[in-house]
Amino acid sequence: MYDADVIVIGSGGGGAVAAKELGEKGLKVLVLEAGAFYGNKKWPQPNSDRGGEWSSSFDDLDVGIYKQIYNRYENNMNDVVSGVFRFGPADRRRAPWHRVLRQKGDIWQLSGVGGTTQHYWAQSPRAFPASVDNVWPISYAELIPYYEKVEATLPVNFSPTTPKEELFYYGVKKAGWRLNPTLDVVSPGFRPNPNAILPPNAELMNPCYSLEQLNEMEGCNLQGHCMNGCTAGPSVDRIAKRGTLVSYVPLALRTGNVSIRPNSFTTKILTDHDPQGGLRATGVRFRDTWTGETGELSARAVVLAAGCIESPRLWLNSALPYNSWVGRGLTNHCFDWVGGVFDEQDLMSIMGLPAVYPYMGQTSGARVDIPGTGVFQVSCLSPGLMSFLTYGFSEASYDALRPPEPGEPWDIRGRVVGPQLKELMMNYSRTMTYLLLTDDETLYHNRVEVDPLLKDENGPIPVVHYTPSPKTLQRRDQLARYACESLKAAGAKRIIRSDTPFAFQLHLESTMRMGFVVDTNCEAYQVKRLFIADNSVHFNGIGGPNPTLTTQALATRTADKLAIKYFS
Amino acid sequence: MQIAKTYAAQVDPSTYETFRSLVEAIVPTTPCFGAEQTAGAVDLCVHEYMIWELDHTLALMLGINLTVFPLSAPTAGMLNSGAAQFVAKGGAQDAPCRPVWALSPFSALCPADRIVVLSLLEQLWFDLGLLPPPYQHDGGFLKFIIDYLNRGTMFGNYSEWPAYGTTRLNTPTLRRLECFPTGWQQTGYPGVSSGYRAFRGFMLFIVRDKGGYEIV
Repeated sequence: MYDADVIVIGSGGGGAVAAKELGEKGLKVLVLEAGAFYGNKKWPQPNSDRGGEWSSSFDDLDVGIYKQIYNRYENNMNDVVSGVFRFGPADRRRAPWHRVLRQKGDIWQLSGVGGTTQHYWAQSPRAFPASVDNVWPISYAELIPYYEKVEATLPVNFSPTTPKEELFYYGVKKAGWRLNPTLDVVSPGFRPNPNAILPPNAELMNPCYSLEQLNEMEGCNLQGHCMNGCTAGPSVDRIAKRGTLVSYVPLALRTGNVSIRPNSFTTKILTDHDPQGGLRATGVRFRDTWTGETGELSARAVVLAAGCIESPRLWLNSALPYNSWVGRGLTNHCFDWVGGVFDEQDLMSIMGLPAVYPYMGQTSGARVDIPGTGVFQVSCLSPGLMSFLTYGFSEASYDALRPPEPGEPWDIRGRVVGPQLKELMMNYSRTMTYLLLTDDETLYHNRVEVDPLLKDENGPIPVVHYTPSPKTLQRRDQLARYACESLKAAGAKRIIRSDTPFAFQLHLESTMRMGFVVDTNCEAYQVKRLFIADNSVHFNGIGGPNPTLTTQALATRTADKLAIKYFS
Repeated sequence: MQIAKTYAAQVDPSTYETFRSLVEAIVPTTPCFGAEQTAGAVDLCVHEYMIWELDHTLALMLGINLTVFPLSAPTAGMLNSGAAQFVAKGGAQDAPCRPVWALSPFSALCPADRIVVLSLLEQLWFDLGLLPPPYQHDGGFLKFIIDYLNRGTMFGNYSEWPAYGTTRLNTPTLRRLECFPTGWQQTGYPGVSSGYRAFRGFMLFIVRDKGGYEIV
């Protein structure tokens, strides 16, 4: 009668986890993904040729195709208009799928199997317990076994030290921060990042192996391409950086119960009257992004994991029952970005090296956690990405037109252009940069809605509004001061605060909040058999830590709850 | 070269010149920093990158058809309207270059004044009713795009895009690298790598055993 036991909408950080967990329970699962499937024999040229329809076998995975596409060139990979990593159709001749953002900022979300984890930096910290206990409808203790399961599955381990982490540790220790050797952060301190990246290859420092040989072996080789497409590994399922494309998706396919259909944009959740009253989800309608053909699939339950923007959009475009919190309460860690330029002689005396080498190692390898305020983490990128994040992207206009007040812990605030930009970029290899993640207050007015007029081929398009509260801005400013003080302590000669646009959306969370839109099992209050398994169910921004691990823990738990309720 | 030339030839001269002067103001040519550091965004054709990006970024339904709305020409029009209003209000530090004014008021300004115009545009200081659609009376989208013009120029300049050379304006899957990127040379980035022997130990490590874990 049904096409599947469960349909999962989206194969990113959450959907792939739900699919694997449900498949391991013996349930028949169909996954619909709007973007491409990279590294699969069914789609040898995924960006220019339609290829197949479904992949159901682990043997379909092909690391040769994967490495051909993931070529590590920053513009080819991360151009938001036409890159491999964008929110758009697989066909790169076409425009991306538009979201309306009427303020400074940008939205870094990706379509494709693996979703945004294809270019995430694999940071996998747990939530701050103080942001969950007595705040969320469930306790932190309730999450712990699921955190542990995900951490062991990915797996998660602490980041190795490379030059930039060594310099970071030197600075934060001098600034007075203490080592915090824990996964459950209840007090301020520094630690290496808990990252979903395989530990370094044991032969990395052995000159008998060439780098090319090492790149075909298991283990991180510190190539620095977490964001531009990690290629370290002998097979798709053993790639070092553990986005879900290379971790949970292969595990899901191994169950023999999961089929994935990329290039399929879900445009409607189908419902019927539930015999016990109200509505229940019965399936989905989707549109093939290559042919424009539509199809419908039915299932006994549906898991919505389309992300913090598309999940509320799909709810609204499906005309599901009105709920005043659908799309509301968006949090985003209200980021900032700071950098320090070092002199060669200082670096020599600290590390015995003449540069920071921002392109070596895991993109982000160490952090200071400050519950109640947020996080700052050393984060270094290739020059195109680094130049615009550090000097071109700002809430604060141009530094030269509005120089900072004397006494501030930064020498530059806002954009830098002209000869000064050229001069600063000449110092790229001696510049260390940090991403700052703020404990963001959850506000009703921050939201995703759909435009009353504008549509694309998938229906009315999303409009995203985000304005931080004064409290969030106060915390962000405090984080910037802590971060710049540690750069100063390390000996940075010039310190830059970009004052990143508030709406630079990397960590969107809480637009379909637990306790408002979904219950504690992550089942929608108003639509039975519809579960949500992405960042949108978070009650808040979890205090500032990167949200993916918490989504993955919850998706694991949701799969358990769904199976018990409807399939036991 | 043919394809790049053909695409560039489709762009109207005013739009082309406006983007040329935009990227020049953001990443200038700087012979004073030595031969390797001389090339700026104009030398690397980053204005063509910006035009291509803006012309391929927006697709919406128009009636029953998905339609691409090229944004480079209205964006140039918006910059030129800002420049004209700026000069009319007596804001320019240096007199605009008269021979260029008819083609592009924005380009007729000195680089420092172009940056001031960008700053005033994002502060919504001008009469937004005089801007072309889709910027007319849409201050939010105007703020978004002014910020994008800055970061897009930097990303185009310091990424590998200029090194796609004669294939730079092809559809992305058909671009091919023709040389080592100038922006990477200027910054000392060695290019994509299959690894670095940069391991300097662990601060902490998780050891898992029999379902449990220990931090060592």
